[in-house]
Amino acid sequence: MAARPTILSLKSVRKIFGTLAAVDSINLDIGEGEFFTIVGPSGSGKTTLLRMLAGMEQPTSGDILLRGERINDLPANRRPTCMVFQSLALFPHRTVGENIEFSLKIRGEARDKRKARALELMDLLRLPQAYYGKNVMKCSGGERQRVALARALAYDPQILFFDEPLSAIDYKLRKTLEKELKDIHRETKKTFVYITHSLEEAMVMSDRIGVMREGKLVQVGSPHEIYSAPTTRFVSEFIGDVNVIPVDVAGDGLLKSVSLKDALKGPVPPKGFTSGHLVIRPEFLRFIGKPSEADNSVSGRLYNEYALGSRIQYQVRVGERVFIVEKLRQQMFTGKLDDEVRIGWDAKDSILVTD
Amino acid sequence: METKGQRVRHAFITAWALAVIVFLYLPTVCITIASFTASRYFQFPVAKFGLDWWEKTFNSIEIRQLLSTSISIALCVTVIAVTLAFFGALAFARYDWKGRSIYQKLILLPIFFPQSVLGLALLLWFNMLGLQLSWMTAVFAHLVWIVPVVTLVIAIQVYSFDPALEEAAFDLGATRWQVLREVTLPVLFPGLFSGALFAFLLSWGNFPLSLYTTGADTTVPEYLYAKMVAGYTPGVPVLGTVSTIGAAFLLIGGYGLILAMRRARQSATE
Repeated sequence: MAARPTILSLKSVRKIFGTLAAVDSINLDIGEGEFFTIVGPSGSGKTTLLRMLAGMEQPTSGDILLRGERINDLPANRRPTCMVFQSLALFPHRTVGENIEFSLKIRGEARDKRKARALELMDLLRLPQAYYGKNVMKCSGGERQRVALARALAYDPQILFFDEPLSAIDYKLRKTLEKELKDIHRETKKTFVYITHSLEEAMVMSDRIGVMREGKLVQVGSPHEIYSAPTTRFVSEFIGDVNVIPVDVAGDGLLKSVSLKDALKGPVPPKGFTSGHLVIRPEFLRFIGKPSEADNSVSGRLYNEYALGSRIQYQVRVGERVFIVEKLRQQMFTGKLDDEVRIGWDAKDSILVTD
Repeated sequence: METKGQRVRHAFITAWALAVIVFLYLPTVCITIASFTASRYFQFPVAKFGLDWWEKTFNSIEIRQLLSTSISIALCVTVIAVTLAFFGALAFARYDWKGRSIYQKLILLPIFFPQSVLGLALLLWFNMLGLQLSWMTAVFAHLVWIVPVVTLVIAIQVYSFDPALEEAAFDLGATRWQVLREVTLPVLFPGLFSGALFAFLLSWGNFPLSLYTTGADTTVPEYLYAKMVAGYTPGVPVLGTVSTIGAAFLLIGGYGLILAMRRARQSATE
């Protein structure tokens, strides 16, 4: 993500509700044409942040700059940005065509010009042209998504905001629409700022992801960085199941965990790092025979196994602690439940994080 | 196939429903029958049928004056009540503000006041303020009772209104006024329309408030009562029937209009 000129810049943006800082001192630059996703659990302030960017809330302090110009007090209807709402907010008394053309009608464009633009967008979003006169409430969930996106695109915004528009859609359709949205992003070359509570969803679509927690941005990076180099336990646990072992750094550079007998080999701790957590993704754990087959190993009891489609997940109990191991179906482990098993991992596959 | 038990149950439900309908509508039917009498006195069952009293009623200037007074009051009440109640309903159901829950209770209280007491209270007020009583003071009196009802009717529609619709329109470049005209009003229209029907019909049929506050003017319900107490003629059931049928037409017509609009919107599907 180099050499993209900045389109949207946030400088110490804060939003206080009563005594609560919903959004707390956020600094962020979003690049021209970027697909940027803000991820966080509910109550993390991501919706408030997005509403400030779209002009529906004013920051308590700090600045929002669009191409270098301060837009804090510019109301939503005068910002060159547009939002796709969680409820989609399609106008129920209007047809598909009228919904898409809404902003053009407001702008006073001629009827035939409006219609041409609407049909063009319907083509882009693979909506049949026959839907132009269809009652929007008669459309299916996926079609409504496309109408909402077409309506926003018709405004020709410089930035498109998305407020979890896919959250109410069933899994299979959501997976399709995620990819479609990324394709549309490619086609239109516009800047997309998306919020979701699902890091998995963010991974599929985004150029960069910002993870929010309690009003603060805790990590910003590419999907790969967020997945393979989380800096905090919070971020590492946000996607899928992970193994998190609380550790203290011992004098010899080894890591000590109160719950495990042996010291662990891990990455070299950063300067000043004295205690934290060792994170190992379940796919990096493997069943081994002898301790010498991996940098670290523990032995325990195979407690249960779960089929996750292409992968199988195993739960191994080591004393009080539970380890999760995942294997591709082709590399299925043949052990029996309650067998004594040894699992191991290499130091390079583990990550040290703070709380 | 229905079992015997189900058949018995269905028969019982049908009989019960019929009994309720008869109980509710038989009195109205009786009034209509009573209006078709040829005699000059109150007599029921009717001995001899005729259209004499219908003719007399429609030719009477006094009756026309009554209808015109009642319609004037009801129309004024409808326009003012719907306007006030629309904004009232937005405050009731759409916006969160300090004092909203107090407001929600206060606005509904007048519905439960005994209307005869409310009428008397208003009469005292008008006298104290030195207002000349006429159909216009009655409009005000009706509003005190009807605006809360209409507010409630419209608020029900407002509760199902997604505030994101207004935000979306605003975000797409509309001004506040355009948002109101293009989105809020059309989406809330069914609620406003039924609110208007309520306002008109409640005003049209109101007796206790009119009795105290119309002064020298007389509305249809007031006239019916006065004639019933002194000077009965079969013109009373005639006017009563006209009043009821008028209200029914308005209701059925309104319902038909909403159905037609819904169908027009659905036919846009194909």
